[in-house]
Amino acid sequence: MELIKKTNFDFLGKRKVWYLFSGVIILAGISVFIMRGNANFGVDFIGGDLLQVRFKTPTSVAVVRGELDKLGISDITVQEIGTAGNEYVIKSPPQTSARIVERLNSIMTQSGVEVLGESQVSPAMSSALKKRALLAFFGGLFGILLYLTVRFEFHFAACATIATFHDLLFVIAIIAFSRKAIDGPIIAALLTIAGYSVNDTIVIFDRIRENVRKTRSTNYQAVFNQAINETLSRTVLTVLTVIFVDLLLFLLGGEALRNFAYTLLFGFILGAYSSIFIASALLIDWQRRTGFKIKI
Amino acid sequence: MMKTHYMKIGFIVAIIAVCVWLIWPLQTKIRRGLDLQGGIHIVLGVEQPPESEKTKSDVTDRALEIIRNRIDALGVSEPIIQKEGTDKIIVDLPGVKDPERAVEIIGKTALLEFRLVEEDEKKLSDAVRGETIPGYELLYQKERDERGILRESSPLLVKVEPELTGAGLTEAYVGYDASGRPEVNLEFNKEGAAKFAQVTGENIGRRLAIVLDGVVKSAPVIRDRIPNGRAQISGRFSMDEARELAIVLRAGALPAKVDIIYRQSVGPTLGKEYIEKSIRASLYGIIIVVVFMIVYYLAFGLLADFAVAMNLLILLAFMALFKGVLTLPGIAGIALTCGMAVDANILIFERIREELRQGKSAKSAIEAGYHRAWTAILDSNITTIISGAILFFFGEGSIKGFGLTLTIGIVANLFTAVFVTKAIVDYVIASRPVEKLRI
Repeated sequence: MELIKKTNFDFLGKRKVWYLFSGVIILAGISVFIMRGNANFGVDFIGGDLLQVRFKTPTSVAVVRGELDKLGISDITVQEIGTAGNEYVIKSPPQTSARIVERLNSIMTQSGVEVLGESQVSPAMSSALKKRALLAFFGGLFGILLYLTVRFEFHFAACATIATFHDLLFVIAIIAFSRKAIDGPIIAALLTIAGYSVNDTIVIFDRIRENVRKTRSTNYQAVFNQAINETLSRTVLTVLTVIFVDLLLFLLGGEALRNFAYTLLFGFILGAYSSIFIASALLIDWQRRTGFKIKI
Repeated sequence: MMKTHYMKIGFIVAIIAVCVWLIWPLQTKIRRGLDLQGGIHIVLGVEQPPESEKTKSDVTDRALEIIRNRIDALGVSEPIIQKEGTDKIIVDLPGVKDPERAVEIIGKTALLEFRLVEEDEKKLSDAVRGETIPGYELLYQKERDERGILRESSPLLVKVEPELTGAGLTEAYVGYDASGRPEVNLEFNKEGAAKFAQVTGENIGRRLAIVLDGVVKSAPVIRDRIPNGRAQISGRFSMDEARELAIVLRAGALPAKVDIIYRQSVGPTLGKEYIEKSIRASLYGIIIVVVFMIVYYLAFGLLADFAVAMNLLILLAFMALFKGVLTLPGIAGIALTCGMAVDANILIFERIREELRQGKSAKSAIEAGYHRAWTAILDSNITTIISGAILFFFGEGSIKGFGLTLTIGIVANLFTAVFVTKAIVDYVIASRPVEKLRI
């Protein structure tokens, strides 16, 4: 079977359109991100208590929220999860979950409340976690850049890294649009995207290098376009297989993996998108500006 | 020529055998993380003396030993207690039914002191008015009344310098006082007993406050010299409280205040759900990939699937060998690794197709396919390994498990997708000449 036969698209000719598309989404994402403030982050990074409870009988968000309002704690968010109408995730300020459980127990005496899981993150820990996440995040990106610089020349490495950075910003924009909170698993997903999404770019760059060597042509745009076309089938296929798995994790993996799988899903798609439309385009524009020769 | 092929195939079979031996039976060989088996994960921050890094680490080490003793007394199976950095302690307690109680026992400082009470009424009233009496401080006695409500008693003026601390304790156990209420019995070691005898002998008629973590538990009047080094703490305990107190006193006081800065608990119900859902989702995902590969690449797809299966096997074997912990994100990592593992084969197979299109023979197309795709495979796998390794080293809790499975999976992938599949293809081609390749 062959999904993608020999193609001859002009991916690089319309690169201004792709720049614009990505730029607009990322800018909008950054704006939404700034407006959301602390709501961007889960308790891991801002501190607080998180409770996952299950009632023996179904109830409604309004009832739970109404009861908890009586506690007089500001900033409690109640979110229903699952489909049975009896499971909730309750986010509250630090050191308040014990009172919440007590309250829920006292009002639900006949039905009963089961605490399925909880986490309590003190401000001291959340700032340590935040520092560590940032360190991991930028350390990871730097490591990838370093490796690419060693393996390719600097221009290639820089473009691949910018494309990866683009993927991450794009995904963070999507997270902001979908009103999700960035937590440990989402950071893990972002770093995975950084490591994996650069793969397609590497395959394309590898082919560009090979074709420049073979043809000795300096009509770089044509060579690049050809390389992208030649590798298009494998770019799409490799992403497709990992998306199959990720999609099932998203659909059937349960609540705990949902945001993680959601982030990865967009990350994988964007990784392929930026490999095809952004990374080589940047390289071409850079080459045109400065006129460097691609080393072979 | 045939001999090298046989050797390679033999090597692959041997690896499979070793892996199967390592992981069998799976349930006992692979350690499950707290999120999958239920339990509590705690990070403790040890309050530090304002001194050098060295004493910092030392305080944390001593605190860790004491916490370990307390947890041993709790009887949790397979707890993990380890230092992180210089001022943090990580405690993982799998399968704990009552997290609140565990937290209570671990976090209590349990600094036990015996301090003399100043009986001078005037000094006491001066102190209550807010005057400072050198060498003394005001402490309160907190007690439960008949209805179980905590009440603060009248203040006591006690010496700042303790006569004796819990350090000289050899034994602490629950007993009952004359009216049948639980109390905690204490026994001192030789020096402790001597000191205790001296203090009680010199201060007959005065009260000796028994202070735990800065709160007066009781302040009995010294009636006589106590020579045998035995004492009791009474104070309207419930049976559970008395038992907890005995545990923490036996284990010793923490050298510094310890705060719980992070705790995460997962109930057994949720853990079971996590396992069921994630494994089902992973299985379906992997099946789709496996079927897709066969439909798309026919016999070569089957070969790639074999590589995936072997990849999975090696991954689990490494987990078993190095006692890696399988967490919920770790399971997701295994599934995703399978989705990524076929990438290398896709690169190779697509390249083979391309070479065939250019009119190459089956054998040279295969050679070129493997040869040319290799650098791209290596480069792309290494970037993913960088991400995975960073997540393993920097990730907190269950995320570590994801970094672990991802890294091992991708490393194994370099071997299975390239070496293993190539060895099999070479063997097949060598044993019967292939004219036309269907891929």
